[in-house]
Amino acid sequence: MALITLDPTNGAFGSSATIAMAPRPATLAGQTLGIIANGLGQSEIMFDALAAELTKWDDLAGSVKVVKPSVSVPPWPEQWTHIIDNATVAVTGFGGCGSCSTRSMRDAIDLEAAGIPAVCVVHIALVPAVQALCKLVGAPDYPFVVVDYPYNPTGVWSADECNAMAAQVIDAVRIRLTA
Amino acid sequence: MSLSSDTLTHEGYPEAVETYFAKGWTDGLPVIPPTAEAVAATLAAAGLEAGEVLGAVPTRDVTVTAEKAAVNAVMAGCLPEYFPVVVASVRALLQPLANCHSTTATLAGAAHAVIVNGPVRQQLDIVGGQACMGPGFRSNATIGRALRLVIRNVCRTVPGVLDRASFSWPLRYSFCFAENEEYSDWTPLHVLHGYARGDSAVTVMSVLRLLQATEFAPESEAILETISETGRLYGMPIDSFVGDARGVVVVIGTEHHRRLLDDGWTKEAVRDTLFERMTKPTAGKYDKQVILAAPDNILIVAAGGPGIAQSQLIMPHLAAPTHELVR
Repeated sequence: MALITLDPTNGAFGSSATIAMAPRPATLAGQTLGIIANGLGQSEIMFDALAAELTKWDDLAGSVKVVKPSVSVPPWPEQWTHIIDNATVAVTGFGGCGSCSTRSMRDAIDLEAAGIPAVCVVHIALVPAVQALCKLVGAPDYPFVVVDYPYNPTGVWSADECNAMAAQVIDAVRIRLTA
Repeated sequence: MSLSSDTLTHEGYPEAVETYFAKGWTDGLPVIPPTAEAVAATLAAAGLEAGEVLGAVPTRDVTVTAEKAAVNAVMAGCLPEYFPVVVASVRALLQPLANCHSTTATLAGAAHAVIVNGPVRQQLDIVGGQACMGPGFRSNATIGRALRLVIRNVCRTVPGVLDRASFSWPLRYSFCFAENEEYSDWTPLHVLHGYARGDSAVTVMSVLRLLQATEFAPESEAILETISETGRLYGMPIDSFVGDARGVVVVIGTEHHRRLLDDGWTKEAVRDTLFERMTKPTAGKYDKQVILAAPDNILIVAAGGPGIAQSQLIMPHLAAPTHELVR
């Protein structure tokens, strides 16, 4: 006799894009870089180095940065307003903790929805998680920037490593933030 | 009752069980195939409509309805009458300060403890005495498992995907126990947190570490010092999101409870003394300050059975203990 049972999930992971990406500027010259740092380890130092490099090579106008109240939560409302009001392009991350990386990915997607071109920097160890998050929230093909080993995933980096990672990701960040 | 879940048709019970494995909908153990009749009975036991929203995980765009919680409760092996406790547990988990996204996706692999207070413990045989943290008790096992299946199937915390736990741990199968309110006249946990004695309530606590504080000396002073030292072994993670709401749970075992009662200790006095000792400044790598805002942030629970002179400390991930009335 047939047995009929119920699906315990909210349905299949989404695969169709429902979130549009914000329009990109042609170059980063004159843009203000928003940084939403998750605060894990030395992520702030890495982003400061990245902002310095982009200012040096791309004529970035400046940067604004917030460090979230916890590694896996959205920015406080006033932090969000600060970024939205001042940034014209943005980066989020970096380092995880699976929940940290996925939340940083969500921050980037929320920035896109607010009209600010954004990119999340992700460690390769957390790629399956951020891809799943992207599918869940309707951005299955949303691009991101990946940092590989030998850098550890959890933000415990020396200052030299932070600088090296900034140099490593700068081209990919530039490509993701411009048309 | 109108249910909205997609349906699956199987040739029989064994095929249904295997299908749920194949679809990745179990915790690695067999589940009870959730029929519409069983789910409807489960919802009815809590007086809930299928579409009632119990909470959400905003980062994931996930909403948890009563229907989905009921489907997973049936799968976990819950009797319908357990469902009000499952519902309260889900609601507590989805309170913002429980930080569900963080505590269920972290590399650290945090688990969640469900601590039950009030008359519902006896009505449902939720055990708070001998061996209460382990296997052997249907209500404890299935209520805790139901919460984990909701975390997996509805909140999408799948190992290797959104669940990034490097090791994970056995407490993630199920972790539910009751306070042993009958052992003494100590004030039950839920009463200390504003509920009436006749209410039933759950406390959901993220579990980064479960630490055993073993002290065979009979003196209360030694027992409290050992509990404090145990909590201070690693300290606890802090952030400004959880802020002053962060807390720890200290489960006072029966042998320690007995000694403390002999010396006239109330739960409130134990709490205040532990607060003073646990929050002292850090003195070394394995003597770290447990940063808490107030004595109330130490949640004292009486549980366990006679035998080992031991208490248990439940140290949190980046989340606060949250409470919900069992309705």
